[in-house]
Amino acid sequence: MFEDVYIEGAALEFSWADPKRSLTELIFDTVSNAVNDAGQEYDGIDSVVLAAHDLVDGRSLSSMVTAPAAGAYLRDEVRYSDDGAGAFSAAVARIEAGESERCIVAAWGRASEHDVEELSRALFDRIILAPLGLEELHVSAMNAQKWRINGGDDSHVNAAQQRRKAAAGANPRALQQGGFRSQPAYPFVEEHLPLWADAVAAVVISPRPSRVRVKGIGLSSEPYWLGDRGLAKAPALQRAAERALYEAQIGIGEVDLFEIDGMTLYDEAIALEAIGRAAPGQGMAMLAQDARCNPSGGSMAGYSVPAMGLARIVEATLQLRGVAGGVQQGAPRIALASGLSVTAAQTQTAVILEAV
Amino acid sequence: MSAAIIGVGQTGYRRSFPDKSSRELIWEAARLALEDANMDIDGIDMVISGVAPDALAGEASVERTAMLGFGKPFLRINTGGVTGSSAVFAGNTYIQARRARAVLVVGLERMGQATSSQQVFNTIFDPVYEKDFPLTTITMAALRASMLMRLYGYTAMHWAQIASRSFRNAMRNPLAHIRKEVSPEDVLNSPMLAWPIHRLEACPMSEGACAVVIVDKGMVGDRNPAWIQGAASITDSYAMGDRIHRPGATLVDLLSLKLAAKRAYSQAGVDRPREQLRAVELYSAFSSAEAMAYPALGFCTAEDGPRFVEDQFVDPSLPVINPSGGPQGANPVSATAMVRIAEAALQVRGMAGERQVADVERAVATGQGGATQFSTACVLGKQQAA
Repeated sequence: MFEDVYIEGAALEFSWADPKRSLTELIFDTVSNAVNDAGQEYDGIDSVVLAAHDLVDGRSLSSMVTAPAAGAYLRDEVRYSDDGAGAFSAAVARIEAGESERCIVAAWGRASEHDVEELSRALFDRIILAPLGLEELHVSAMNAQKWRINGGDDSHVNAAQQRRKAAAGANPRALQQGGFRSQPAYPFVEEHLPLWADAVAAVVISPRPSRVRVKGIGLSSEPYWLGDRGLAKAPALQRAAERALYEAQIGIGEVDLFEIDGMTLYDEAIALEAIGRAAPGQGMAMLAQDARCNPSGGSMAGYSVPAMGLARIVEATLQLRGVAGGVQQGAPRIALASGLSVTAAQTQTAVILEAV
Repeated sequence: MSAAIIGVGQTGYRRSFPDKSSRELIWEAARLALEDANMDIDGIDMVISGVAPDALAGEASVERTAMLGFGKPFLRINTGGVTGSSAVFAGNTYIQARRARAVLVVGLERMGQATSSQQVFNTIFDPVYEKDFPLTTITMAALRASMLMRLYGYTAMHWAQIASRSFRNAMRNPLAHIRKEVSPEDVLNSPMLAWPIHRLEACPMSEGACAVVIVDKGMVGDRNPAWIQGAASITDSYAMGDRIHRPGATLVDLLSLKLAAKRAYSQAGVDRPREQLRAVELYSAFSSAEAMAYPALGFCTAEDGPRFVEDQFVDPSLPVINPSGGPQGANPVSATAMVRIAEAALQVRGMAGERQVADVERAVATGQGGATQFSTACVLGKQQAA
């Protein structure tokens, strides 16, 4: 059993349809960068936790080919078909349980090789929801409309978008060329949408003291049916953040930096309200005015499920280490990162990280 | 380790459940497991689920439609054939880490909805290097069976005897999908799928759901537990060619299971598996695949494997293999490795009904997935491991 878990190494790469590298090569490159960043060799790794979706990777069992590229050969490996932050939570539990002493956590998605809209439609109930042609971005649009109906302050949309765009432009890890955006549904315009990209994120964690400590983790879920959910409220994220903050024994006011997973501009604003960073209806204003909220550029910097929760954790880790490059926000001491899963953010994970 | 399985729920298994939705199957298995545990969903801290491959169900993340106890932490696992055991292990992990006291783990298979399940399975293989070969999950197993015959002297009758034994055991399992008496001769007279594998040596395609409730030591109380004494998983190389020529461990040596079992045995204090493990629930999708597990689990040497098959029918002191009928009785792929653990738990708890093996102090359950790339081993016992 170990009480504390630390992030020893972290790496993140966005790319687009790289003709010189296969998916396994993309994975191997980023995982190797994380292992190197940890000052380790692969011999020092004893377990691997992955987050990947078969339908994203185009295989019936993706991890057959991809797990060895992430360092799983003859190691204890498990794959979560869930968001990378959820996989991170599971990996932390393995360390705490004493099942592993150094673990790779890796997550990826290659939007250039799959039909993101078709995949999204496959997530909805075949009888009732699928005939509507529903996609996850449509649920985000419904969330945005509901947020506006609820009195959300929409006057800062352009400023928030400009700040996200500037941040993504300054982020050395963001996708600067290539990618694409889906067809926007009202009330979105194209720039509010995620920039689909090829993404691989990886961290190395262990109980040995290092530069960033895991201070708290919370997970929560919502019902499947959209009518049963708290649209525009992100209640699963609210509960996940409450649990993470409780575990960390801190209040939201003590968090210096936020890397929040949201597919669209509006999702990010709603998320800031859910975690308690912004008052109800003021998430967009917060996103416009506070550079410490998604300094990476959020979904403007590149997006591909199920890697985004772990990508947010990597960005937060680099900030806490003071090595985030052009988007570095001073010397933050505590950061909150979150990750959401299909279907339309049905489950959420919040992670509190602390600079040591 | 300080976690135990105190509840098991199974829907029973069939070719398909046209009258039940995925969520109804999940809810039924979960309800049965919770009733067995004498708990309700409010007492559960976390839910872990898994479906693999998604393509078999025709709907991505289909089990999310049945979100149990929403608001609770929920995670979804996909490790192919070992999805069910990986999910149980994840539940065990969260308890060992003291992040949960009670975890509900649910496995679901809906492959009866697929019109082309073999085509779905065939896409597990590399589309660049292997697609031009007639490689399927069946020919993949046939390659191994022929290798076992050449290296160790197994015969077609050995495969037929194993299959016949599994069918006979499944006759005593009311949950099994296939329940009929099948003689070794019947097996040998069934159509050839890919030499040397006959149709009746292969597992069926089944649907159904399985659930278990795992709790920490402090919650066991006066409930009837199956203690998780050891749990380990190992991933091997993807490329089968790399495993054929690997020094020290060929394709049929099942190195991943050997290493997983070694770890699980070490945790459980098992050093004489042939004597200490009374009931064995193996994930072997083909009767010939079972033979690869014998030496990996320490029941015999590879060379003595054919003899071990023969002795099972005359030596009552040997471990009883697949008393439930194993995957030949039912193979709900996503859930099969969990079913193995669930059945082993029932054996340890003395709740296996007609299929109960006498005097089970310890049992082992295995998981196998991804062209024998992923292996899990789980030792359960009446007592907590020392």
